Parts: sequence; structure tokens; C-alpha cells
Amino acid sequence: MWCGRAQLEGHGMEAAQVVIIGGGATGAGILWDLSLRGISATLLEQGDIANGATGRCHGLLHSGGRYAVKDTDTARECAAESNIIKAIAPHCVDDVGGLFVQFAQDDPAFFDQWQRAAEAAGIRSRRLSADEARELEPSLAANILGAFTCPDAHVDVFRLVLANLEAAVARGGRFKTYSKVTSIHTANGHVRGVRYRNALSGEEHEISCEMVINAAGGWAQSIAELAGVEAPIYCDKGTLLVLNHRLNRRVINRCRQPGDADILVPAGPTCILGTSSIRVPGPEGLSVSPEEVDRLLRLGDEMIPGLVDARILRIFCGVRPLYAPRTAEAAKGREISRGFALLDHETRDGVGGFVSIVGGKLTTYRLMAAEVCDCVVGKLGIIAECATDKTPLRPAIDRKTHQRALHLLPHPVADKMERRLGLATVRVIETIEARPELAELVCECELVTRGELEYVLGGSAPAPVFAISDVSRRTRLGFGPCQGTFCGYKAMLAGYQTHRWTAAEAANRFSAYLHERSRGQSFIHKGRQLEQLELNHDLYGAEQPFCAKPGVQDGN
Amino acid sequence: METNRYDVVVVGAGLSGLVAAGVAAHRKLKVALVATGAGSFVTGPAWLTAREIRQASTTADLGEAIDFFCEIATLAGCPYTGDITTARFLPSILGDFHSVALTPLTLWNAEPRKGVTTAIVGIRGLSSFDENFMAERLTEQARLIASGCAYTARQISLSRNMGVPVTTLRVAQCFDRDPVFREELTSALRAAASGFERILIPGILGLETSAEQIAQFERELGCQVSEIPTLPPSIPGLRVYHHLESYLHKIGVELYRGFPANKVEIQDGLCMGLQIASPGHPLNLRCRSAVLATGRSSTNPLGLEYAGCDQQMRPLNSTGSVITRNLFVAGPLPHSSDGDHGNAMRILTGYRAGSLAASTRGNHAA
Repeated sequence: MWCGRAQLEGHGMEAAQVVIIGGGATGAGILWDLSLRGISATLLEQGDIANGATGRCHGLLHSGGRYAVKDTDTARECAAESNIIKAIAPHCVDDVGGLFVQFAQDDPAFFDQWQRAAEAAGIRSRRLSADEARELEPSLAANILGAFTCPDAHVDVFRLVLANLEAAVARGGRFKTYSKVTSIHTANGHVRGVRYRNALSGEEHEISCEMVINAAGGWAQSIAELAGVEAPIYCDKGTLLVLNHRLNRRVINRCRQPGDADILVPAGPTCILGTSSIRVPGPEGLSVSPEEVDRLLRLGDEMIPGLVDARILRIFCGVRPLYAPRTAEAAKGREISRGFALLDHETRDGVGGFVSIVGGKLTTYRLMAAEVCDCVVGKLGIIAECATDKTPLRPAIDRKTHQRALHLLPHPVADKMERRLGLATVRVIETIEARPELAELVCECELVTRGELEYVLGGSAPAPVFAISDVSRRTRLGFGPCQGTFCGYKAMLAGYQTHRWTAAEAANRFSAYLHERSRGQSFIHKGRQLEQLELNHDLYGAEQPFCAKPGVQDGN
Repeated sequence: METNRYDVVVVGAGLSGLVAAGVAAHRKLKVALVATGAGSFVTGPAWLTAREIRQASTTADLGEAIDFFCEIATLAGCPYTGDITTARFLPSILGDFHSVALTPLTLWNAEPRKGVTTAIVGIRGLSSFDENFMAERLTEQARLIASGCAYTARQISLSRNMGVPVTTLRVAQCFDRDPVFREELTSALRAAASGFERILIPGILGLETSAEQIAQFERELGCQVSEIPTLPPSIPGLRVYHHLESYLHKIGVELYRGFPANKVEIQDGLCMGLQIASPGHPLNLRCRSAVLATGRSSTNPLGLEYAGCDQQMRPLNSTGSVITRNLFVAGPLPHSSDGDHGNAMRILTGYRAGSLAASTRGNHAA
């Protein structure tokens, strides 16, 4: 369970200067920032990495264009931050660029307003005629009137979180997954430590610390309650559809007041359409109705004619954990600022050493982390500057390793592996050189070799896996059309063959994985993915859940 | 436009479509079978679980339908074993036991048997099957169902380079076509089987293999052999499909393979024919009656109008009125409310729709 530096010896109790709660982008960013400043920190995550909003979003690295008109501050932040992320984590970003497209049915005034607002927010942009836009994106509707370019990009959220964690571990940071915080100890108005339960073994442990950072996103309020304080969160559900082709080359935004289904992001071999905006009571137990799906498809079809018939691989929803102070109570989801807030519970509530970071967005995770850490070092009385904006998350891979990979694997396979594994690529190359059968492609959609799979399952990988869906988050295995039907089975066998799991454990994990994957498909009520589900059913039998009825979804 | 005339046109080559075409052809009618490819049942072991049978057992004609299916399967050269009143435990792809009523013969002898020494034999390089995993799981699962059968894992290597990774389809094709390969496989398996009364192997014993050939293979091995289902390409399911389709062809059913039926021509509530979206120009098939067994995909040629079917298996629109009187739906179509889509239901609905279509005099285009 332990990652990074070995458990502190001595009184048997673990200790760290800072405990971070939440393994999304923000939490991982904070761990990296603190580690870079030389502060010992431990991150606790109740599930696997990127289990909440981080793992359930578009994967859009905003250029800021989306917020240009309404929220200049957020737009400016996004513009600056997206450039930083592209520089420090190029392996996580697919810098495809984006378009803000004007459609005949939308308000033309907004289009002109956008140009001025984008300029003011410092977003690089160029005006295109309708013909020029359609030349760049031939699948766009014929009735478009024009477009603006912008530097939008797709970011692999799982890889980004992992990159932050791995970088932190290399600097002495530690993180634990499947560790749910059950209580926060305070004494004399100051936090002293936290207690957490291992979700797999049920064992409870304690960590003593000087500070606790609540970066639990949608769960921030329930964490705050452990310390008897408030971190008011407005949970705003967004539903996204994964379509089985890249229908677009660039990110396509509809240039109008932000609304439903007006962003289409090319993501690996798929594209993601979203979102909706519906208030929900909490981040768990979300579901999607067929009407919601039809509505998203219909709106998407206005941008890309024919999209309505595209094969949906998966439907997922996440919760935007928006910060909702009492004054914002009356506002609705999209009207609440995408800005973030740092709540210092010492000044607010008299609980020393406890801060919450709430709201914000994926694109600004690094900035959020930097502000939290500035506050934390101040409280700890340490002088250390933030350096995450200038420090690459991992060193570049050397040419020789690249050449060796190309000797063994086709170019796209080698390329994807290098982007995922970084310096660890060399280990996988060595195993494939020794055992050529490890070059087998286990997941043909995301080009995952058996060698890479065995590495991720093995003990030397920096982020241990406990479930097959964890393997998916490390490698993207099972994110294609089969949704793990074939490659998940092979991952199960690999887990058995590498002695990671006994036969019974492996089979149980695979059943859980199939269940989780089929829940994400259970909202699909039409189209060719139903054939895949039926095939799944024939293969694994009636014991597997099989229905076109809306269910409850917890998986990513 | 080209036109061909039939008594019955069946769309879909899953179990329901194949059975429906078989019923009509056995009544000496002129039958066409239109399909883009094999039905999804081929990815599984093509068996009928006890649970499916139980769910379908409220219907009076289940026995009749199953008898007919077993009859054509035997005639086709891929006989089924078992019956609807009994069940036995057979290993699944996940290494647990499913309670199965009827199954292709090659899977039948894999049940846990107390005191029978059993080896599970894998093939080196066949990455979708792991004999150790299977042996460990089955031993454990056999203990749970109190049969106490122990399974031992063995692995064989074949000298021929069959690619990396080896697939079950590649092995099955070599098994079908190459006597030298079959001989090598036999002697390798014989060595692995020495000391055992029975061996279980992944489904690899050819797509065209007949029941007699399997019996011959067992005699050469000197022990009982049975297959375990694998990931696709899953040979047991494909083998059933292959045999049934060849049989239908042999008894005069005309096959239109590779392209979907995309339009149903309806006049005054009667289906006059179907159109096949073949490249170049569409092909029109005229018919007296039709069976639609296109599965749960979106390619239902009735399009959005279809909203379920009535007791006589005729398609209904959203207001509940019959779309066409001489077209019958079989198998799991979209919007069908039956929760389970097992093979028993596929056979039953195929049999019914085929019988109804065969006895319906629709239009007189033919």
C-alpha cells in the first residue's frame, strides 16, 4: 500500500508534515508542489487516482475561450495555465487546437463579443471564414458563419495525475490509494493527525501531521465535517458521451453562451461530447436518462451532422464540485464562477492547520495547488518558492531508448508506450527483448503491449494497481469499443500469470471490472454498442448484468 | 433492379434466423436467408443453460422447438447432447461452472467427475487461454459444488510457427486442413494426457469437424477429450454456425451474405419483399412472408416505426397497431421487453416465427 519513502520507523505511527485528502488533479498537484518545496507530505485517496471529477471530465485543457465573455479572470487563468501545462507535461497533452464556431442559429452579437473578450484575456486567436473553418474541420455543419481559432488541447487526465504523483514520489512524497479518511484529530484547536481505513483490507491506520489539506472535490463537504467545519459545495452533474471515432481533429466549441452539448473534444481514438448541467445532491449514485442522452446527441448533431448516429461507447457523468458560498446559493450551475477558493479554517472557524481548496477546474489545478502550498508553507513557517510552473513533470526520454523501442514495436505502439511510461519505457523494452512474446498487443485500441501490462501489474511500477480498472487508468486499456470485454480478460490472466492475484482473486476482479464497464454502457439505449453488450453477454453468461435500463453508475 | 421470389425470406443468421429458415425449408418452401454475418451467439459456447430453459419453460412449444433444433443440428453434423429436463455443470470461460441443459457434443464431457483424473492442456503461445488459471479455478469451484474433482494443468508446444500470439482460429484452421498438423497435435496431446482418464482443452478442434471425426480423435488419443470455451474467436460457437449454415445451403436455402436488408416493402399491411443494400445496386427479394431476426442492433430494417411485437410475433408500431401481418420477428430485437436473451429464447422464437411464416399465405408475388 505504501508508495515512495518507507514507513517511518520508531513509534509505529506514520508521520508527515502535511496530509492531503483527495487523489484528483488538485491533490496530486499539491503533493508535487509540496515535495518540490521539500515538505514531507502524504496523500490519501479513498479510491483509485482520479476517481472523482478529474477522471470524469472532457479532458479539455481550456485555452480560456469558454469563459472569455462571462468570466475574464477564469479565462485569463486558463490561458496562462494551459500554456504552462503544455510546457511541463507535454506527454499528457495532445495539442490539437480548437475552434469557436459561429452557427447560424446562435446570437451573432456573442461572436463579436467573444473576439474582444478573448483579446482582453490574452487568448491567441485568429478569425476564420466559414470556408476556411470547414476546410480545417470538414465535418462541421454547412450552415456555419465563421470561426475563431484558439489553443485548446486534450489532456489525458489519468496520465496527468499519475505524472504529478510520480514526480512527487521521486522527491520523497507519498501517496496511498483506497485509503478513506475516517476522522481528523484536533487538540487545542489545531489538527494533529488523521485516521483512515484501507478500503480493501478494512484495516485502520493513523498518520500524525501538522496540517491537513482538504482537496476532496465533490467530497470536500463531508471531509470538512470530520473537522466540524463547512466547505459548501454545489454539486453540478455533467453527462458526457464517448463516441467511437474521432469525428473532429480539433476541439469544437459552439460560440455562444455556454450551454448543453456544445463542446466536442477529440480524445485518443475517440471523441467526447458534453455536457449537461444538472444540480445533484452529491457526487455519488449518479444516473443518466435516455432523454438526456437524446438531447445531447441532438445538440451535437447541430454541430456535426450525422453525429446522432455515431456509435456511443460509453456514457459517464461526473460532478463539478463548484464552490457555493451562501451568496451564490441562488445561482445555477453554469452561473457559478469556475474560480476556486482557498478556505483557511483557522481564520474562518478556529481550526488550526486545516485548509480546504474548493471549486476551480482541471486546467487551473496547478495554480490552485500553488496557492494552497503558499498558504501552507506560510503556516509552517518555511520559506520556499513555488517552482511547479518551471519544472517539467518528468525528464525527456533519450534517443537511444526511443530507437530501441522502434526496433521492437511499430511506431504508434512505441510512441504511445513512451508517452505513458516515460523513463520506465526502458524496463519494458528490456523485458520484450528477453521475451519477444511480450510484444503482443493486449489492447488493440489503445495499443497496450503485454510487456507494458506486466510492468503496470508488477511491483516496480510507481503507482500500484489493485483492480483491473486501475490498470485501465494507467494504460487506457479497455477504453475502446470492446470496453474491456477482450483486453480485460487478458489483463486478468496477466494478473494471475505475474502472481499478482490468485485465480479466484483474478476472476473476482474481472467480474467487478465487467460490472463497472457495463454500467457505463447501461445508459446507452440504442445503436451498435448494444451488439457489443450482447456479445459480452454471450461470452460471459447471464450472470453478468445485462440491461438497457438506466442503472446507477459509480465507475468512471 | 434484380428481383428474386421466395416463399419465406429470413433476415439474420443468429440462432433464431437459422432455426426459422430451417423450419420453413423443412416444409419444402423456397427460402432465402439474408445476413451481414454470423449472429452474436458464435462468441459464446452456443449452449443452452438450465436457467434459460427455466425461464422459457412456461411456453408449451419449448420442447417442440428444442427437438426441432436438435434434429437439424444432428443432420448438420454438430449434434447437441442433453435435454431440457436435466442439467450438468460445465466450465465457463471464467473458470466457474454453469448449469447447462443442452450443449454441442464437444463441450459435454467437461463436467466435474469425482475420481476421474483430469488434465487441462494449454498450448504454448495461445495467450487467451491459461491452463493453470483454469485448473486452479475449476478445482476450487468443483469443491464448492461438492464434486471434489481435481484438475491438473499441462502445456504442449507445437513446432509450427503459428504467429504471436497463437489464436484458437489459427489452430482450428490448421486442424481442419492439415493432416500433418493434426497428427502432431494428437501425439503432443497424447503425451500430455498420459496418466489421465480425461483431458480438457481450449476450443480448437476445427470449424468443420464432424461428430465422427471427434470420436476418431478420441480413439487416437486413448482418452476422453472435451473443449472449454475461450475468448473469441470462439471455435465451439463458430462451429455450430458453420455446420447449420452449410446444412441450410444443402437443403436448398439460398444465402445472401455480407449485406444488410435495409428496407421492408409494405403494401396494405402486407410485406411484399425486402431490399438488400448490396453495393452498386440494391437487390430486391419478393416474398409471401418474412422473418426478422436481426438482433438487438440498430439495423432493424423496419426502422424507427418498430416498437415491439404482439403474441403472434407480428411487429407493432408505437400506437400498438400491427405494421405488417405476414412478417414475424424473432430473437431479441430492440425494444423487446424480455430481459434475458439466452439461446433457448432465440431458438424458441426462431421456431415460432419460422412456423408462422411458413403457414402464412401473404401476398402472391411468387
